[in-house]
Amino acid sequence: MLSLLVIAEVTGHAAEAAAPHAAGSANALTQITDAFSVNLSSLSAQVFSFVIVAVVLWYFAFKPVLATLDERQKKIADGLRYAEETKTRLAAVQQENADILKRAQVEAAAIIEQARKAAKEVAERETAATTERANSLITKAQEAIELEKQKMLAEARTEVARLVIATTQRVLAKELNDADRSRYNEAAARELTSV
Amino acid sequence: MASGKKQITQLAQKLFKLSFADGRLSEERVAGVLAYVEKNPPAKPIPVLRAYGRLVAIEVAKGRAVVEHSGPVADSALQSIAAAMTGRYKRPVVATAKPNASLLAGLRIRVGDDVYESSVSGQLAALSASA
Repeated sequence: MLSLLVIAEVTGHAAEAAAPHAAGSANALTQITDAFSVNLSSLSAQVFSFVIVAVVLWYFAFKPVLATLDERQKKIADGLRYAEETKTRLAAVQQENADILKRAQVEAAAIIEQARKAAKEVAERETAATTERANSLITKAQEAIELEKQKMLAEARTEVARLVIATTQRVLAKELNDADRSRYNEAAARELTSV
Repeated sequence: MASGKKQITQLAQKLFKLSFADGRLSEERVAGVLAYVEKNPPAKPIPVLRAYGRLVAIEVAKGRAVVEHSGPVADSALQSIAAAMTGRYKRPVVATAKPNASLLAGLRIRVGDDVYESSVSGQLAALSASA
């Protein structure tokens, strides 16, 4: 088709170039057309019909096909762009997830550390309280033992004194004679009357 | 009940005051009081006489020094005790001896509710109390 158009164009230009020389070259053109059996009227009809076919094809074949191609290209571009956006969004989401995960890990680590510290403090407090209670119990036990010891010593001392006095009374009752008692009574009388 | 006891005590004290002559308890006055009560008995004679007897016994005990002793006591010692108690209580006090072997040695003198003691058992008891 294009080759025919080019030939026609070339033929047109040749005719136009030959116009100034029409007079001189009319004969030559006639000779050529005759030599190639070219009929101008049939050529014009062929050109006209060609143009009509070209216009019809343009409007009813090429244009829809080009529109379809443009639409498909646009769809492909949209798909590619959507894929690109999805990829970018996915990357952002992944990054965000990674950030969230990292923050969660940091927070978890902080919470674990805090819990560990709290547990340690509680353990230390419990240990201190237990130690204090144990010391208090030991002190009380020691005091009770000391009191018991003092009580036992006092009881032993009292018992020893009682035994000593009882023994002394028995010995004196046996050993003192009337002369001794008389002397003691005189001394007692002096003491009581002098008060 | 309480007022009855109070009346008995008041009557006994009145009779007791009537038993004194020259500031001292008189045997004659006591005999007179007893004769009066016998002749004119009060509403409750036995409780009145019991309270009166207690008052008289206390007053008699105030004029008597009971000297408990272990071993022999010289009369001179008893006399010196009577003299000392007479001077202390500003009234005649008579000393009477009473043997008490539990003293071991020494004397214990009772005048009324007062007790004076200088004996071996007393000293041992004090030692035992302080031990």
